[in-house]
Amino acid sequence: MSNFKILAAALPFAVMATGAMAADETIAVFTKNQTNPYFQTVRVGADAAAKSMGAKVVHYIPTKPDSIPEQLSQIEDVIVKKPSAIVFVPVDYKAMVPGVEQINDAKIPVVNVTDRSAGGKFLAFVGADDYSLGLETARYLLKEMGGKGNVVILEGVKGSLTNVDRVRGFNDALKEFKDVKLLASQPANYQRLQGLQVMENLMQSHPQIDGILAANDAMAVGAIEALDGANRKAKVVGINGTKEAVDAIKANKLLATGDYNGFLQGCIGTMAAIRALRNETIVTEVVLKPTVVNASNYQPYDRPLESRACPSWSEVEAISTKTN
Amino acid sequence: MSIASNASAGAPRIHLSQDMQQIIYRLLAAGLLCLALSLATDAFLTSNNILNVLRQASLLFFLASGLTLVILTGGLDLSVGANIGLSACLAATVIKATGSPILGTLTGLATGCVIGICNGLMVAKLRIPSFIATYGMLWVLHGITYYYMAGETIHGFPPGFRQIGSGHFLGIPIPVYLMVGFLVAGTVFAQRTVWGQQIYAIGANPVAARLTGIPIDRRLILVYAFSGAMAGVASIVFLARLNSAEGDIGEALTLPAIAAVLIGGASLFGGVGSVFGTFIGALILTLVLNGMNLLSVNANWQPLVTGVIVIFAVWLDMYGRRKA
Repeated sequence: MSNFKILAAALPFAVMATGAMAADETIAVFTKNQTNPYFQTVRVGADAAAKSMGAKVVHYIPTKPDSIPEQLSQIEDVIVKKPSAIVFVPVDYKAMVPGVEQINDAKIPVVNVTDRSAGGKFLAFVGADDYSLGLETARYLLKEMGGKGNVVILEGVKGSLTNVDRVRGFNDALKEFKDVKLLASQPANYQRLQGLQVMENLMQSHPQIDGILAANDAMAVGAIEALDGANRKAKVVGINGTKEAVDAIKANKLLATGDYNGFLQGCIGTMAAIRALRNETIVTEVVLKPTVVNASNYQPYDRPLESRACPSWSEVEAISTKTN
Repeated sequence: MSIASNASAGAPRIHLSQDMQQIIYRLLAAGLLCLALSLATDAFLTSNNILNVLRQASLLFFLASGLTLVILTGGLDLSVGANIGLSACLAATVIKATGSPILGTLTGLATGCVIGICNGLMVAKLRIPSFIATYGMLWVLHGITYYYMAGETIHGFPPGFRQIGSGHFLGIPIPVYLMVGFLVAGTVFAQRTVWGQQIYAIGANPVAARLTGIPIDRRLILVYAFSGAMAGVASIVFLARLNSAEGDIGEALTLPAIAAVLIGGASLFGGVGSVFGTFIGALILTLVLNGMNLLSVNANWQPLVTGVIVIFAVWLDMYGRRKA
């Protein structure tokens, strides 16, 4: 306990101790950054799971978003502090492998969440499949367009794992609809401002755009602002299931958002870690099926994250792909 | 161009020739880029697209124009992007809480300005090198903003407020009027006022400036305050355009803002540069993105194309000056 207090005082912005439960089990939760709302949903999920099971969570978040050296040094700190278990989202699925090996050497049990690490030993992997997320979200849009018209893709950060898979999913869905024409596939780097500006530019060269496939919600919402500004209409889909996207769906501006289920990932990852510590059975792999959130099913998403509850373990087992 | 040449006419002789040379070659680079784009696509040289490019360039220009004054003194302000983030989030909070866009706007401007004054005090009074003072400030601001926002976004502002970013007057976007206003005001201030000339003198030769009795500390605090205030202006236009505030909105703008000032002919050693040059710099960077989108340049090639054009634009100037 006191170790963590010292750490919290030394790194006020990197480390925020949460959960006041007095417990022996401390779970160190690593996420990529403080800026992407998605990782906030993972953290809230982890907090909810730990609270319901009577364990304590300490969050480790790089101050510089997605910083590889910073996450590596946070791993070194954590190995010294010896938490009971670790829930780990690598900032980079390849570059963090040496860090995972250090955790393995220190014999601290670790669960891999969101991005599948390229190496190292984990109790379990909990994630969502970006490819099917892109595929299902795109299929929904293309069906709603009646299987015809012109679409553009707004890509995320070039070279990031999530972007590669989501855009591949978009393109594979497009192959199923022969009467839909892909006008352009341009990067907007997951940024809202770039989503707006790239869309403004694309509208200059394409007088008729019927559908927009954005690889995240921020770009989708930026693109909607561009459409509004030009008094044009198109059906827009994003990915991540953020609160903002749900509000846009309610306002009839966004057609749908593919949900990555960050909250569930945080829940299940943390539940698996705690159960392993208590020698209870766990699942070794949970790949969540995508949910395409739209005007007919947004209600469960339309409430504060903090008021959502984690699923029961039997529900987790029902959706898991591998158990031991 | 008439603005700059008129303004330069009243300035000391040495500024006239330097400025004119720089501006001519910068304009040439921008002109070549425009010529190439209008030959490559019909969508480029339309009044709609020209206004589109100017509106997109405005955000970068607001940020870069304040920064120009800092760079003229031989300093640097790395905190402008983080400044936008905090100013926008606080302004958004106030608009949401009070329903008053005026109070929100004042909050954004005041936040930006106070941050700038803090930077100025650190540089002028504590003698901390500007790179370090503003780099430190960047982290402080990120820390506060990320902690305050906790990965959330604030969105949905009154339509009247949104006019600042997305409205038109006589068919021309409001941000373009703002940009022209700040361009004229900034040019007149830098070229025609005693304070402006003192700022050039501080950067050109700090020792001589001190000996001639220029109140260096007060001028330094002034330029950092201007830079901060312009980040405040950018944050308000940003909010009004995107209808949304999140912690990391300015992060992707810091380096492009510095690049815009330097592409515009300023020297990091101080004493050389102009607000008009910075305008051309912001325009060139915006044209590159616009052109790539219009031509649907493959996402994989976009970073490379951007790099080559930026280097070419500055090389053209260097080459031209050697010839002259």
